[in-house]
This record gives sequence, structure tokens and C-alpha cells, in this order.
Amino acid sequence: MKKIEAIIKPFKLDDVKEALNEIGIQGMTISEVKGYGRQKGHKEIYRGAEYVVDFIPKIKIEIVVEAGRADEVVDKIREAANTGKIGDGKIFVFSVEQAIRVRTGEKGKDAI
Amino acid sequence: MHNEASVILKQKIGQLISSLLEENTLSFLKEHSQIIDEYLQTSFETSMVGPSIDLAKNPYAFIALGGYGRQEQCVYSDVDLLFLFKHSVPGEAESLIREIVYPLWDIGLEVGYATRSIKECLSLARKDFEVLTSLLDARFICGMSPLYSELMQQLRKKIIKKDRKKIIDRLVESSNERHIRFGDSTYRLEPNLKEGQGGLRDYHAILWLARIEFKLKQPRDLEYYGRLSHEEFKDLNDALSFIWNVRNRLHLLAGRKCDQLHFENQILLAEKFKFKKTNGQQPVERFLGRLHSRMDFIKQQHQMFLYELGYTAGRKPRKLPEKQTNVNGIEVIRDMLNYTSSEEILNSPDLLLSIFEESMRLKIPLSAEAKRMAKEFGYLIDTDFRNSASNVKAFERILVTPAPTFNVLKEMLSTGFLVRFIPEYKIIVNRIQYDEYHLYPVDKHLLRAVQIIKNFAANDDATDPLCVDLYKELKSKKLLLWAALLHDIGKGDLAVDHSQGGATIARKILSEKGFKLRDIETVSFLIERHLFLIKTATRRDIHDEETAIFCARTIKEIDRLKMLYLLTVADSMATGPKAWNDWMQTLLRDLFFKVLGVLEKGELASREAVKVVEKKKYQVLSQASSPESKKNLEELFNVFSPRYLLYANTNQIMEDIKLYESLGENDIVWNITKSDDANTRIVKICAKDRPGLFSKISGIFTLNNIDIIDAQIFTWRNQIALDIFNVKPPPDQLFEDECWERAGKHLQAALSGDLDLAKTLSEKMAVYRSFKTLELKRPHRIVIDNDSSSFFTIVEVFTYDFLGLLFNITDALFRCKLDIWVAKIATKADQVVDVFYVRDFDGQKVDSPDQVAAIKAAIEKTLPAAGSN
Repeated sequence: MKKIEAIIKPFKLDDVKEALNEIGIQGMTISEVKGYGRQKGHKEIYRGAEYVVDFIPKIKIEIVVEAGRADEVVDKIREAANTGKIGDGKIFVFSVEQAIRVRTGEKGKDAI
Repeated sequence: MHNEASVILKQKIGQLISSLLEENTLSFLKEHSQIIDEYLQTSFETSMVGPSIDLAKNPYAFIALGGYGRQEQCVYSDVDLLFLFKHSVPGEAESLIREIVYPLWDIGLEVGYATRSIKECLSLARKDFEVLTSLLDARFICGMSPLYSELMQQLRKKIIKKDRKKIIDRLVESSNERHIRFGDSTYRLEPNLKEGQGGLRDYHAILWLARIEFKLKQPRDLEYYGRLSHEEFKDLNDALSFIWNVRNRLHLLAGRKCDQLHFENQILLAEKFKFKKTNGQQPVERFLGRLHSRMDFIKQQHQMFLYELGYTAGRKPRKLPEKQTNVNGIEVIRDMLNYTSSEEILNSPDLLLSIFEESMRLKIPLSAEAKRMAKEFGYLIDTDFRNSASNVKAFERILVTPAPTFNVLKEMLSTGFLVRFIPEYKIIVNRIQYDEYHLYPVDKHLLRAVQIIKNFAANDDATDPLCVDLYKELKSKKLLLWAALLHDIGKGDLAVDHSQGGATIARKILSEKGFKLRDIETVSFLIERHLFLIKTATRRDIHDEETAIFCARTIKEIDRLKMLYLLTVADSMATGPKAWNDWMQTLLRDLFFKVLGVLEKGELASREAVKVVEKKKYQVLSQASSPESKKNLEELFNVFSPRYLLYANTNQIMEDIKLYESLGENDIVWNITKSDDANTRIVKICAKDRPGLFSKISGIFTLNNIDIIDAQIFTWRNQIALDIFNVKPPPDQLFEDECWERAGKHLQAALSGDLDLAKTLSEKMAVYRSFKTLELKRPHRIVIDNDSSSFFTIVEVFTYDFLGLLFNITDALFRCKLDIWVAKIATKADQVVDVFYVRDFDGQKVDSPDQVAAIKAAIEKTLPAAGSN
């Protein structure tokens, strides 16, 4: 099993979700996160007060899939989240040791 | 251990509960208590242990406490018992308990009991506030009744009379603590029926206070003693009856005592109560609406009761001097507003509004009686009243006046005034939206939004300083507040989009109230677009300048943008924590600044600009020869940059489209036209954009002795650059065409890398510099501006013209790894002002101080040193 973690631009969430639905990915976890990478923060000054955006709002998507599907999922996310501009985000892939469904106790691929 | 009596009790409770559906709730509670009473009475009479306790020497009695004492026994309520002994608790008490209480436990009742002497009761009541309140509800069941009377007398004499003030303070304080802990049930998605504000405990608190203050014996006394009108007492019983009914059924559903109305039970209960879907509202939404309105009534009564005792929520008793009113027909009594008589209202109905205005001005509430009259005379509010200019003005004063803690609008809503004044409000009162996102009924949400905006004026530490500044700068605060008051008014009709529907309704309301057309437009715009910024911030790329320009063109005015932003913030905050958090704030504020930037610059999004662009689009499209070419043209319009569309006239656009179409697979195409007087040439170059393109073109002109007068560059969304140069013709005009051909070849060579432009040019310059020197009257000025645009760093160079200047500057920019998106080059005599909109190759502004310094230095190096003559 692989866990895929993608940081994307907020307005790309629907596109990514749709793209993943198309290939039959049913579940995902979404969080509102903030951060920066090569796309830096910036500041605005209004009436002498500084409004600094150190960390830019992004969406984090987490999905766990069978190892064989990871590449396909990564490709789909990349395709859907791409605007060609800076700040499009990053995708990380991790190995997952085990998955357990809380209600039934099912394990492994049955649980995802 | 089961005895016969407990078996009978169990059967009776079972029967009673099974008939719950048909029964009147109040009588259910009473009957439920009574059958428990009967069990206790039977047990007392048939007790084996009882006779062993000498009734004459140590008399005892069975007393009901708490809810059981008040005869409010719900399905799974606790049974609180007191075994009261005159002198001391005898050893036999233990077997008495075993005989009487254990069977109750065995049949599944939750029984709490205490065995105490009168003295012990009193000393505990002194120490433990909960013991005291449970004793306030004590009720005699069986045994020696004088004992009960003695307990109550002593309680009154030794504790209540002595410490009356302290006890009431403690009661008020504990209510406040409870409200903080359990929240305001009238606003909660999952209200607590008992402990929350507006819950049953508030009613109990009223009873306790009345018992202490007025020696109230039974709830009915609230009416008999004149604390409540007949109507109010009836409404109170209706409200209690509904809440108890809900509580009973909730107990049954949960199979245990449970007072928190969780989501999963709400739909089931709405079904049980047979709510029907009407007017597009779900049964559960109607059910919760009813519950909220009932709990709101209890909450109001509780607050009113405290106020009349001299308490306000969360505060100690007031010790301020009495306030005064100058309005005829209204008077201040015990720091509350009253009507002097009901005739006064009949004679001048405007008093119905004046009293709220006075309430706002003096920051004191209406008395219960005044509220009652406001309700009963509401019928006097007719069309003339609603739309009279002076009443609208008075209403606006209430709307606009900041009031951090005192919210008169809430009172206006709860007395029905608001619905009379704005009849369109009726359909949204207590209208619930059943989801986890909207925490409040629509009417309460609207008032919260108004309150939040008013508090922007308060400028305390908790408020966002940006909102404080923006609110301060608004030209008309009242229009924003009207918009806040009405922004969800369209939610009553689910058939149409609520923003659009709301705008239509608002237009009607305001024109009836005699508003100026322009103001009506502003309010209806704010209502129609109240989700616009939030939707744009979450669904569009806010780091794309076109998004900001699109918003700016929709909003058109800075003042409107500020109002829309404040409305968006207040709306989100008033919705609940899921709609407003730090993440959303960052996103929304970022968008706001970007749109503000575009509007402040004005050129791209003024009303004029929008009109001009629309007109050009129409003219160009009307020249399309076929539907297909029209479609192509429309697509092209979507990729043209906003600056280009403003700059180019219709004919130019047509020509440029032709030039663009001739580009095809080529890297670059150009065309050269003579100006009317033949003194200058216009060179248009269309090319696939790449860094350094502009500097290469200008270098080629210099190399071929073509003097640049001015230049513009535009970058379209499809990565096509259109560069327009106004140049002097080549010196040798006899062979002009050959000269252009040569320049074209040079350009191809420079782009392919076959020609080293920098080197070739510097060789050429070396020759020129030897015989042409510059006289510098003033030093050059290089300004790097990161404030004016949210999307570009603007580089401005003020200097003196010389051959190769433009190449030098743009080549320096290229070497600093900057991409030129827009350029405006203007020469007046020998004075040059060059403006470049640049970004780094990643598409970001360059705003770190060392980058800015490096760019300055790089440009400076290419200009002749000051005083070099």
C-alpha cells in the first residue's frame, strides 16, 4: 500500500477530486493547510498596517491506495492540479505498513 | 428483590409511557410523579421496618426533591428522595432504604436518596448550593407532614431570609456559568434541552428566584402574583410542554436520560412529531425552528425576570443613577422603558419605534409590560408607518449605532416589530438550514452579521484591524448595514437562487421605503453578490491578475469593494467556525488586496474601461464572416490581455488578429507600416514569448541604426507576445526595404543564437561614444516599485536618450532573470521614461531588498555615468 500526499492550490480541489473519481478512487482526506516553498509569501500595506502572508493557503489531499495504483493516482493528480505556474504544489508517496478499518477490523487492502 | 408494589409501579410506568403519544405532556409529567408517589405511600403503609422506628419520638417523612419535587418527571428522569427525620437518623434507616429504595433500583429507576435530620438538611443547604435549590423544590409525599412544614419554615427563616441577597447572587452567577458551559440553545445546532440557555434550567431558575423573592408556591403563582400576563403564562406552558415533549421522546429514543439533542436524533424526532415538508423546508428544519422559537421564549422570560430583579446577564446589580427619556408617552421606571399608557400608543403609533430608539440611546431594555404592549399593538404598523421617512430614519439610527453588548435589534425581532416593519422578514424567522455549516436560523444569522459589522466600529483588540479601517472609511455605513440585515432574505423561497431573489426583494423593500435609486442599486448589488468574493477566493486562481481584474470589473468601485469585503467577512463569521477561520481569512484578504490594487490604479477596471472593452468586442465580433469565425474571435478575446484591449482600437485589433493568424508555426512575424506623415514607422512583432525577446528586438533596431521613439509590449494568455514599436525610419530611405530585410535576418540570427548581439553592439557603441558625449543635467533615476501592483514588480527608468539605451536596459533585466510582461517606452525630446512590468522566470514579483538592489545596480551600470562629459 502507498500513501499519496498532495499539496495543491485551493481552487484545484474540485478538479482533482473529479479526476480521481473518474479512476474509481472513492475516499480521500482533505485539510486546509498553509505553507510555502518556491512560491514565497508576500505582504500588503494598508493605511500603514502591514498584512503579511508568510504562509500561503493550500489544500492537502491524502489518499491510501494499493501499491500498484500509486503511479496512476499521482499522474491524475499532477494532470488535474497543473496550471503551469509557480505554487502548483507537490506530491509525496510513502509506503504504508498496515491499514485497519475501525468498525470491522478488516486489514490491508480490504480496509482501504 | 421485587416486591408487589414495585411490580405494579413498573407496569403503571410502562402503560403511561406507551400512551405517551396521545397524552398531554404536562399531565404525563404529573401522572408519572404521582404513580411514584403512590408506590412510596403504599410502601410507607405496608413497611415492615417502619413500625420499628418510633414515630412519636423520632417522627419522619418522605419528601420529593428536585424535578420529582416539581412533578416534572420525564421518561428517564432521576427520582430524588429525602428521608427526613426530626432529630437524628436512626440505625433502622438503613433497612428502611433497603426495603423501599432497592426495589426501585431493581425495576431500573435512577433513584438518589438522602437520610437526614432537619438540622443536617439546613447545615448542608448552607454549604451546598445544589442541596439548597433541590430543597426549594421539596414536596411532601407521606409520613409526618408537620415535619415537612417545619423544614420549609426553618429553611426560609434561617437561610433564605438571612442570606437572601447572597443566594440570589449565587443563583444568577450559576446561571451565567451554566450558559457559558452549555451555550445558547436557541442558537445551537445540537441544543441542550435542559442546561443550555433557553433550556428547562432557565425556567427552574425563574421558579427558584420567585420562591425566594415572592414566596411563590406553585408555577401558576407567576401569573397570580402578576409577574406574567395570562397570555405569557399560557405561552410559557406551551413552550415548556413542547420542550418536555421533545425531552420525553429523546429519552425514549436514547433508552436513557439524555438532554443533548444530537444530530442523529433530530430527523427521527421530526418524523415522530409528524412535521411535514412545506415551502421547501425539510421536516427537521421546521422541527428545529419550532424548538428554537420555544427555547427563545424561555430565554427571554429568564432574562426579563433577572432584569426586573435588577440583574443583567453576566453583571452584578446596577448602581448607576436612573436614566431619563424626553419622549412623550415613554417613561423610565427602575431602569426600564415603559409606555405611560396604552392610549398613548393608539394616539401616536410612532412610539412603537421610538421606544426601541430610546432603548438604543439609553442602553436600557424595555420592561416586560412594554414588550407586551409592543407585541399587542403591532397591528398599528401599516404601510404608511413602515414607509414614513421619519420612521425609516429612526430605524436606521438603530441600525447604525454601535452597540457591543446591547442588541436592540434582537428585541425588535422577538417582539415581532421587525417582521411588522419589514414584512418580508416573516418567512425567514426561525428558519433552520439543516447542515453542519449553518449554525443559526436565518433571522438570527442576519442579526449576527449586522452586529459583527457594527462592532467593526468598536476597534477593540479582537477585531481585525483591516475591517476597522475599512469600516471607518466607508462613505455610507447604513447601506452596508441594510445589506447585512437583508442579505439572506431570499432564503424563504427555495425556487430561486437566494442571492438573486434576495436582491429583488431588497429592491422592493427599499424603494417602498423611499430610497434613492443609486442607494437601492448599491444594496441590491451587495446582496446579489454576497458570495462572490468567497466563491472567487476558493474557486479561482487568485494569483492570476485576470482574476483580480475580473473581480474589479464586476465590483467597479472601491467603496463597493470595501463594503462587499466587510459583508463577506461578517457573513462568514456569523455563519459559524466552519465558514470562517484563519485559512479562509488569509485567502479572502489576499484577494481583496489584489482587487483593491486593480481598482485603485483605475485604468483596467473603471466603468469607462469596461464600457470601452465591451464596445470593441462587439465591433470586432460584428465583422465576423461566419458563425465559426465569430467563435474563433470570441476565443481570441479571452486570451487578449486586458491592457492590450484597452490600448488597441478596433482596426488595430483586426490587423493584429491577421498578423497573429499569419504566425502559424513560425517563431516570429512582423509587419511594418508607414505613419500618415511618413516620418515614422510602426513595427508590429508577433512572436511566441520567451525571456529576452524584447531586448533582442530593440538591440537589432539599434544595430541597424533604427531609432526607437516609443514601444509597448503585451503578453497574451496563450504565451504570445505582441510588441509594437514606433521608430524613426532607417537613415538611408532610398534603400529602406533592404534595410528592414537585413534587420529581419539579424533578428532571426539573434533568436537562433547565431548572432552575439551584446558583443556586436558593444563594438558598435565604442565607435559612437567616441564622438557623442552626454550632458547630464540631472542624474538618472531608477525606481523599483513593488507596491502598486500585486502581480508585477514595476521598474521605472528616467534617463536621457542615447543610442542603444533600450537594449541596454532590457538586456540588464534579462540578465537579472526577469521576464518583461508589459513595457511602455516614451521619449520626449531627449528625456526618456521607460516603464517595465516584470516578474522572475517563476512568475513571481521580486521584492527582497537584495534583489531590488541588484536590479538597480545592473541597470545603472548600463547607463552612462553622471558627469561623464
